[in-house]
Amino acid sequence: MHRLPKEVGSWIYNFFYNEHSIAYVKIDAQLCIAAKGGNVKHYGLSSLRIGKPVTDQLEFMEGLLPCPELPYHMAMVELPSGRVADLHLFADDDCVWLLFLDATAERDNKQRLQQKAYEMTLLQERERQLNEKLQSTNEALRKSQEGLSREYQRAESLLLNILPASIAERLKAHKKIADNHAEVSVLFADIVGFTERARSVGAVTTLAILNYFFKAADRLSERYGCEKIKTIGDCVMVVAGLPTARSDHAKALAHYAVELRKAVKRERFAGEPIRLRIGIHSGPIVAGVIGKRRFAYDLWGETVNLASRIQTSAEPDEIRISDATYQLLGPKFACDPLGETELRGAGRVRMWRLPA
Amino acid sequence: MLQKKICMLGGFSVGKTSLVRRFVQSIFSETYLTTVGVKIDKKSVALPGKTVDLILWDLAGEDDIGSFRVSHVRGATGLVLVVDGTRAATLAAALTLRERVEAEFGAMPFVLLFNKSDLADRWEISDSEIDNLRQLGWQIYLTSALSGEHVDDAFRQLASMVTK
Repeated sequence: MHRLPKEVGSWIYNFFYNEHSIAYVKIDAQLCIAAKGGNVKHYGLSSLRIGKPVTDQLEFMEGLLPCPELPYHMAMVELPSGRVADLHLFADDDCVWLLFLDATAERDNKQRLQQKAYEMTLLQERERQLNEKLQSTNEALRKSQEGLSREYQRAESLLLNILPASIAERLKAHKKIADNHAEVSVLFADIVGFTERARSVGAVTTLAILNYFFKAADRLSERYGCEKIKTIGDCVMVVAGLPTARSDHAKALAHYAVELRKAVKRERFAGEPIRLRIGIHSGPIVAGVIGKRRFAYDLWGETVNLASRIQTSAEPDEIRISDATYQLLGPKFACDPLGETELRGAGRVRMWRLPA
Repeated sequence: MLQKKICMLGGFSVGKTSLVRRFVQSIFSETYLTTVGVKIDKKSVALPGKTVDLILWDLAGEDDIGSFRVSHVRGATGLVLVVDGTRAATLAAALTLRERVEAEFGAMPFVLLFNKSDLADRWEISDSEIDNLRQLGWQIYLTSALSGEHVDDAFRQLASMVTK
């Protein structure tokens, strides 16, 4: 320090000794502590013992000595005491000096800045990740929405094949469906001699015949505004006047019956044209949906039972109607009277035959 | 006294400090506090027939790998390479750091930790990638400093490797 003025020398001494709490440890060739001094207390090093191995007492020196690249500097080392020091190692003959210069404030300062910078970088990385994830999620969502809407349309069209549209809407809204309909007409129709013919032509042909019959029933339902409620074996049940009421339900169903009879005759079953027995009756019924998973829209009531009885009593090719239906048809339909006939479970019933 | 210097290496915010805290003090803090410079901790590990004191050098993870001070690793006998499993780029960072250390001081034992295994929904490293590294004979652990999962296993494995 002899080349510096006294004032500068004393300032430097003050700077290191007071501001940076300088301390030193002298290490001998045997790697034992030879001396210590300065502000050792500041670093919690007061208990260092002279003459004992340095690595036992200063763990961070493990592996560092002997060091081929002296002087050696390690910046901002946090010691077990919590103090942060810049460490300087330099050689002098066969001794190594280890200097401690407090850097706690600098470290804290740098940490604050570094922390902000890293947090910013992390946020940007996270934002990028989330954006990527969002994009792929959106894409997947769009695809599954497309799939769903396809499925929905399929389910919708299946449902409409089974149920009248207004009933399907209410069912989807989870409403209970059991409605009284005061005035409807109910038709039953089945194929004459079905069982015997089915036996003679085999299952595949029989199925084709049934398919032809029921498709015709569906097609005509649409044309005459009737609802095909169900099929039972070779029998079909059709109603007019619901779900929306109509005053001409009997007429609609009468036309329907005539057309159905005409339509099926075009197809041959075991060598002969298909012939039907058809029965119609009019009156009040209850309509509703029963079942949950394999639900069915169906009709109940005496009107339904009697319509079925009338159908069973009809002759081949005959459309037999009850007196109630006859009254509703009016004078334009010139029907043949059949008189009163005893029907099982219904007593004597007055019936009419619709002309060909 | 058996004493070994071990260096924690990896990119920033991968969990080096948290892993040391979990291993040494069995605690975890959600608060991210970046390490500047070096933090030194010690933990005794009892192995069959011996006890070794691991001197753990928790080195600052650098954003810019180039600014990493290789000289801090002088005297180390083993490395803990730490990767953040939720940030794929940190794997390359850890491997580069290892290369730089080996170029300076030669090969030394290491364990590779894929940390933050508790953040499964944000995981970015594929199983096949990890399997490929295992094929190289590397000691690999999926760790969570938060839950402590596999943290002790990884350090104990390294302790036995550096005392062989």
